[in-house]
Amino acid sequence: MTYTLLSLGFLAAATAAGTLIPRAFGARVQWAAVAIAAAALVVLTVVFDSIMIGLDLFSYAPSLISGIHVGLAPVEDLAYPLAAVVALPALWTLLARRKDPSTGLLLRRAIVSSRPISWINTAFPFAAAMLLTTREVDWLLVVGAIYYLVPYNLAMYGINDVFDYESDVNNPRKGGLEGALLPPALHRPLLWLVLLSNVPFLLVLVVAGGPWAWVAIAVSTFAVIAYSVPGLRLKERPVWDSITSSTHFVSPAVVGLTLAGSSFDAGLILVLAAFFLWGMAAHAFGAVQDIIPDRNAGIASIATAFGARVTTRLSLALWLVAGLLTLFAPWPAPLAAAIAIPYLVNVAPWFRVEDARSPETNRAWRRFIGLNYLSGFFVTLILILFWRLTA
Amino acid sequence: MTGLIYLACLLAGIGCMLLLDWRFRLFFWADAAAATLVTLAGTSFLLLWDAAGILSGIFLRGASSIATGIVLAPELPLEEPVFLVFLVLCTMVLYTASARLLQNSKRRRTP
Repeated sequence: MTYTLLSLGFLAAATAAGTLIPRAFGARVQWAAVAIAAAALVVLTVVFDSIMIGLDLFSYAPSLISGIHVGLAPVEDLAYPLAAVVALPALWTLLARRKDPSTGLLLRRAIVSSRPISWINTAFPFAAAMLLTTREVDWLLVVGAIYYLVPYNLAMYGINDVFDYESDVNNPRKGGLEGALLPPALHRPLLWLVLLSNVPFLLVLVVAGGPWAWVAIAVSTFAVIAYSVPGLRLKERPVWDSITSSTHFVSPAVVGLTLAGSSFDAGLILVLAAFFLWGMAAHAFGAVQDIIPDRNAGIASIATAFGARVTTRLSLALWLVAGLLTLFAPWPAPLAAAIAIPYLVNVAPWFRVEDARSPETNRAWRRFIGLNYLSGFFVTLILILFWRLTA
Repeated sequence: MTGLIYLACLLAGIGCMLLLDWRFRLFFWADAAAATLVTLAGTSFLLLWDAAGILSGIFLRGASSIATGIVLAPELPLEEPVFLVFLVLCTMVLYTASARLLQNSKRRRTP
């Protein structure tokens, strides 16, 4: 790829965005102002790019550039400011001083929708898995960790909130710590925000990874979308709901491992399986508190299918098996078996819970969110021990 | 200390753009949320461009003594994303200021 071709490609993408965005959304760009800004930027670029190249801040592979220079700057460098000035004013015109909803409101609601309290639950498995394999913080780890910290959660919970709107209206538990009721006017802008914030990161991860990473990313992305989009709505298919939900948290770790080129030996698979069962248990028990509102709204879940008592017991069994599985993995993984105990103790009082009293399990669910931070702390200690033992 | 010169210049440039922005309420001071999204989108797009150039072997880091020498990734110095943020800010300040001037002159001609 030569610099000329590369620049033309990106410039074409920017031009397409700059001309199609205003047409699609009826935004009015002041093209005369774009022309003035472009003229100024070209002059500034020629002057300062020449200075920067003269100071040897960066250089270009001679065989890959056209060889046409303006001052010291290769002519291709002008594509950067031109792309910026042709695309960004269109985006700005679309976003600035909007009413119903304003961009500020959209961003605030997007952040609430993405569940900041849960951001770490996906970024940590990714970063830990990758760091323990590569043993260094490289750019891919940083890019991936940023992706699994924010855009991934925005996709997962944002898509969910858009398509859950109707059932959310009937559920008083949403709108605070554990969710957000999203006004319909925000639905389309939020889906755009999800798309535009996820695609660039996913492209980078796909380009950086091999075939196994592609499989992991595909499964992960499918689980995020299929959980709540109309037509699939795996969250309303009992058992699949718990499997998909657990995939949301385990798949970032698997993506991290595949990007790092990890070898999947028996010990690693046992640990991942334990993590997966833990995630299923968490989802299933979380669904118990919603049995009554879900049934009223005609929504199926693992808990509406099996009832409060069976689902609670299933969760207890899954946590127990998850803990037992780690006992068979190499040291220090068996230490993690102890982490299952507080989960079992937390939920055990609802061993005989009936459907009518299922909303009371919200008390255990609230403690569960706190417990996750505690177990995250202990898992981190175990991972540090693993790091030291295998150093 | 000379290693900080380039980064300091970029940060000073960003500071100057923000001063213009603040004085004339052009970008962040016109709509902070929209400006944040535009800056994020612009910077990410240009970073992807850089990454593609680096992967194609086009861009090479220089050996200048005024750069920190800290690299975020192979051939990607710490200063590059800061420069891209500056470029986006400069572009948007120029555009919003030009649009404002054009509007004002139009208003003056048609009272």
